[in-house]
Amino acid sequence: MHDVHDVEEAERMGRKRSQIFFVLAIVFFAGQSAYFASSPATRDSHARMGAWIILVFLIMMLLATGGFLFRGRNVRDLLNDETSRLNRLASQALGFWVTIVTALAVYIESIFDPLTLNEGLHIIVTLGVGAALISFAMRERRAHRIG
Amino acid sequence: MNRLREARDHKGWTQAELAARVGVSRKTINTVENRVFTPSATLAIKLAKALGMSVEELFWIEP
Repeated sequence: MHDVHDVEEAERMGRKRSQIFFVLAIVFFAGQSAYFASSPATRDSHARMGAWIILVFLIMMLLATGGFLFRGRNVRDLLNDETSRLNRLASQALGFWVTIVTALAVYIESIFDPLTLNEGLHIIVTLGVGAALISFAMRERRAHRIG
Repeated sequence: MNRLREARDHKGWTQAELAARVGVSRKTINTVENRVFTPSATLAIKLAKALGMSVEELFWIEP
């Protein structure tokens, strides 16, 4: 049995999590739009690619754990209860399908207009991870608004 | 279908109190009450036990 205080804290953190994930997804997509808008000569600097890899890794960790940064085991368990786990699984499945469809689209595109390996992987990973993150954020926001 | 809200109201508990008793978030109780989310068998048993009912009294399938 949990404490009511933990439930209320998890409620507050859960709402905050869905908002943070939503904003993170928008920032992530906006950053990648800027990346593709820049010239290929300056696009693939080590700093830019390093920042992208770190952000992708962070998002993947957030999606895999539901928020490994949250403190307190009780609250973390409540934050990742049945509905959140289901929302996370559905979002991961969506991310998988977006990744596959994007990979196919990139493959077809490369027949007509060759892409570098970096460009192709960047597009595939960005859309796959971003779609999963935004899907989870929206599912959680919707669940919090019901009632 | 379920009568979770009626059973909870009968006990005089808030959603947060029931959530604390079964170890889930208030959001989960809310989505079950509003029939948006179908709970697992484990959660259905925990809810029924917490409310002193059988699972069949609390949840049923519309014919």
